[in-house]
Amino acid sequence: MTALVRAEWTKLFTTRVWIGLLLGACVMVAGFAVLFTSFAGDAQSGLPGVGTEAYEELILATAANVTVLFLILGIIGMTQEYRHRTATPTFLTTPRRGRVVIAKLVGYALAAVPFALAVLAVNYLVVLVYAGAKGAAPSLTGDNLRILASSGLALVIYAVIGVGLGALLRNQVGAIVGGLVYLFVVEPIIRSIPATAPAYKWLPGGGLEAMTATFQGPDLLEPWQGAVLLLGYGLVAALLGTLLAVRRDVA
Amino acid sequence: MRLDGRTVGTRHEERVIPTGTTAHLEPVRVEVRGLTKDFGPVRAVDDLTFTVEPASVTGFLGPNGAGKTTTMRMVLGLERPDSGTATFNGATYASLAAPVRTVGAVLETAFHPARSGRNHLRVYCRAAGLPVSRADDVLVQVGLADAGGRRAGGYSLGMRQRLALATALLGDPSVLVLDEPANGLDPEGIQWLRGFIRHLAHDQGRTVLVSSHLLSEMEHTADRVVIVGAGRLVREGSIAELRSGAQGEGAVLVRSPETTRLAEVLGAAGLGVRPGGDGLVTVTGSTPADVGARAFQAGIELHELRAESSGLEELYFRLTAGQEQYAASTTDTTTTGTTTQGAAR
Repeated sequence: MTALVRAEWTKLFTTRVWIGLLLGACVMVAGFAVLFTSFAGDAQSGLPGVGTEAYEELILATAANVTVLFLILGIIGMTQEYRHRTATPTFLTTPRRGRVVIAKLVGYALAAVPFALAVLAVNYLVVLVYAGAKGAAPSLTGDNLRILASSGLALVIYAVIGVGLGALLRNQVGAIVGGLVYLFVVEPIIRSIPATAPAYKWLPGGGLEAMTATFQGPDLLEPWQGAVLLLGYGLVAALLGTLLAVRRDVA
Repeated sequence: MRLDGRTVGTRHEERVIPTGTTAHLEPVRVEVRGLTKDFGPVRAVDDLTFTVEPASVTGFLGPNGAGKTTTMRMVLGLERPDSGTATFNGATYASLAAPVRTVGAVLETAFHPARSGRNHLRVYCRAAGLPVSRADDVLVQVGLADAGGRRAGGYSLGMRQRLALATALLGDPSVLVLDEPANGLDPEGIQWLRGFIRHLAHDQGRTVLVSSHLLSEMEHTADRVVIVGAGRLVREGSIAELRSGAQGEGAVLVRSPETTRLAEVLGAAGLGVRPGGDGLVTVTGSTPADVGARAFQAGIELHELRAESSGLEELYFRLTAGQEQYAASTTDTTTTGTTTQGAAR
């Protein structure tokens, strides 16, 4: 299994996809951190002011806004095998295809850790400089640290979900577009309609919000429950994908 | 496979580099028994049984859509047969302890276009637990040593086939399963491939199954042939057996300044004679030696004397003629010989 995980890393690091996604995530998290900080304390924006506990927990959870890029990282990691037909040599080398999916889940979870740390570092540095200039840089202690770590964990789990979703759908464009539409269209609707809102806390978005949200929001799970729920979605998708899609004949 | 025109001018040709000692290679016999696969209402492979012997090249022949690719993919565990088995010394592909060390395969050329050829190979070295230095070994073997660092997406068609062949050789396997490996190679490359395939089988003792829709491609490479049409076995045997079965099919071409007298002499001997233009006579029902002897006896001057063809080609066409039309109208979407995905799927 170690060999298969290392093979996945060789695949990941011998194309430039990871650079683009990591840079994109860093730029996005920096942009959001700057945006939130510049409007912090502004009455119209409704954002809490620099130096308040609410601001610090909000700004250190900024990474939660770039989970989608880690989702895409996982999706591409799985679906590129079908897109570029490398599924054939991959499954010739490893005829037990479930092992390939497991290797991808492990490989992308581990690879996402340093990526997530980089995103968190960018997030914190931007806040340190900008909020520091505006009066009070947040400290990395207590709830602040927990929020920051939870956001990083969420990034890693979304990479795992991406692999699972890719295994289930096999089609790269379909999985990415489907993921985006779900996260940015379907879930917000479910969240806002009173009749369906109670179900929201059981959905991936609800799980993420449970892990990282600091605003007064809808009814949510505990943070650790949110993490387990998200990981569960990723693993269930991977399991279903292995049973239903990956074992099918490679076209 | 993409024909995007981004071919590369440099040549990487004509270097068969022996892989050294092959005493470690275990002879592996491939046995296909009653393999059957349906795609919807179409039976792509129909109760197919044949054997591929070690240390020899077995040509897997049939028109496009005859089920060659589907059969190979089932042999390799990529598609599940509806019934039947394919085994390597008794073991199915999926149950092999180290598949790439036992079997290497060239199917459609599959690689990430942004990844270099060398890195492509390293991926499978890692997955199979082979030293990554194998990537460089096989690049040298297929004549791609200078191109290993370039993006595979920029490779010419012929280089892609070589990269696919290199991937197959990574595990130094006892068995090679090659689906239309000559596609996209230029004449020089085809010449190289023929020599390479024979070298792998005859000098190194590997079991080689190589498919083609052209008999002419196989005639000088294969020791045995398995001919399929519409998913069914049409003929199995050595090239020599096939040739003897085709005896009398061929014609002899003779060129002489005395065509009239030559026609009389040969006609009197009971041979079919068709005079052509420019002093050319086509003789049927005979051999070049026979025609030459008769002309010599009659004192007729000859300028050219040769067999028109071995007759194998005609035999092959006859054996597979009906099936090709069937395949073309039902299962096959590819009609040219330029893709590797010609078989029914």
